Amino acid sequence: MQGVRHPRMKLQEDPAAVVIGLGIVLMALAVTWQARPVNDAGSRERHPKGWPTPLAATVGMPGAWTDVPRDAFRDKQGDPAAGPIALGMGWIAVIAAAGAALGGRSVRACLPGAILLAVLACLAYVLSGQKVIKYYNLEYPLWALAVGLFLGNAVGVPRWLAPALVGEFFIKTGLVIFGAEVLVGRLLVLGLPGLMTAWLVTPVVLVATYLFGVHTMRIPSRALCMTLSADMSVCGVSAAIATGAACRAKKEELSLAIGLSLFFTVIMMVAMPPVIRWMGLGPVVAGAWIGGTIDATGAVVAAGESLGKEAGEVAATVKMIQNSMIGLIAFAVAVYWAGWVERDPAGPRGTLVGEAWRRFPRFILGFVAASMVCSWLHALGPEQALWVDGATTGFTAKLRGWLFCTGFVCMGLQTSFRELAPYLASGRPVALYLVGQALNLALTLAVASLTFGWLFRRAVEP
Amino acid sequence: MCRNDRSAALRLVAGAVVAIAVWGGLLPQLLSFAPVARHVRLMEKRGVDPAAMYYTELERLPLPPPWVEGCVILWPWSTAPNGATLGRDRRE
Repeated sequence: MQGVRHPRMKLQEDPAAVVIGLGIVLMALAVTWQARPVNDAGSRERHPKGWPTPLAATVGMPGAWTDVPRDAFRDKQGDPAAGPIALGMGWIAVIAAAGAALGGRSVRACLPGAILLAVLACLAYVLSGQKVIKYYNLEYPLWALAVGLFLGNAVGVPRWLAPALVGEFFIKTGLVIFGAEVLVGRLLVLGLPGLMTAWLVTPVVLVATYLFGVHTMRIPSRALCMTLSADMSVCGVSAAIATGAACRAKKEELSLAIGLSLFFTVIMMVAMPPVIRWMGLGPVVAGAWIGGTIDATGAVVAAGESLGKEAGEVAATVKMIQNSMIGLIAFAVAVYWAGWVERDPAGPRGTLVGEAWRRFPRFILGFVAASMVCSWLHALGPEQALWVDGATTGFTAKLRGWLFCTGFVCMGLQTSFRELAPYLASGRPVALYLVGQALNLALTLAVASLTFGWLFRRAVEP
Repeated sequence: MCRNDRSAALRLVAGAVVAIAVWGGLLPQLLSFAPVARHVRLMEKRGVDPAAMYYTELERLPLPPPWVEGCVILWPWSTAPNGATLGRDRRE
């Protein structure tokens, strides 16, 4: 790695991620606004996923395939999509170069590695696109980690790749961009029963599981307990990434939390619908139970839809409410970590706020800012809602996916099997996940039955 | 090529062979297994992407259930503005 060339311009990793992430969100909003449709700009029926954005053509992703991987490079109509996919990989190289330039590192030294990382991220996407893998919810982070772990441990990392191995930077930039998708207004879409199911249960399970892991199971790493609790109680991988970054979890801790979450999500996605049929629950209560307990959003919709349209709608909406909590939870975790967990009792005494601010992960501010701006715009009216939805679903969500995927490849490349082994051998993280999920299942069923099945029954059923 | 380089190259080739065997042979074969095929068909038919990490990645944004339309339920025993119970409309 070369020395710092422009010390005055040097930004640390967090501010660089905030500058680049917010810049991308603002660019997406500006371009989508410029290309807004002339007619029916406020029609949700005409634009179900928001206004089409020209930026969508610059960030393609490999799609689903059955037995020929080449099919991953075709779109749903069967047309070649290699160009947009290559441009998506190009964004990774551009963002890595921008990060290096803002951080005072050599752009030239970083670029070859960034291109290789983008190719490996593409490989991870192709592996996750095989239909059995895709439809059983084994998401791309798992394959990105697997590709990185295999290459890092079995083959080795070439020296020229080292300047580009900035996994945390990719993930933090992705999280700032992700903020644009975290819309606070979504919290209210199911009114009070939705709020009670998502907001009463989720924080209780999160805090109880964390405390159980730290005090009862005596797991040495508080960050692992928090990341596991968040990914199990909130919404799987995305919550693990956000809270893991907020509490500075180690690479192997985040990898473990994500692996556990995906493993149990597959089991719950397959097992919950028959159990619910056997229990004879109504579609609304069943949907709320599924939405509040299965970790991953896609798996929630899959399990809900297998019980019927109404259960699918309720499940997806409850999950969407939980999704919207990520911002607040990541912010709260960052404050708690900076103010209490990482506080050195023997260190110099200052005000709590001052000390907390010194340790506070700054990228969270960018994440919250993007969320606040987009939530405010989304709430202004139907046209603005379609504007934000178009910019996020058409562009930022895909770019954020590329950044996370690249970040996980980096994490895999930098993680040693030897460091991962003690966590797996102890078995305590698995036990913590199971205890927390059992509490989550019981509490969510109780509250969903209380709210949707009894208190609000007249409103939701004829 | 030194010995370490050669063993690393061998491991890389071995990994690639395993990946090709699993993704090119085993997984496509699994698709002919009836329960797996049924699950995949159902998901494709309903336009569901179980691999979506966040709701913005779903094939379509989640629709709030019909009984939410026109009325955010803020208190038990709420009914639709026209007095009808909200769940009935969609089912009819």
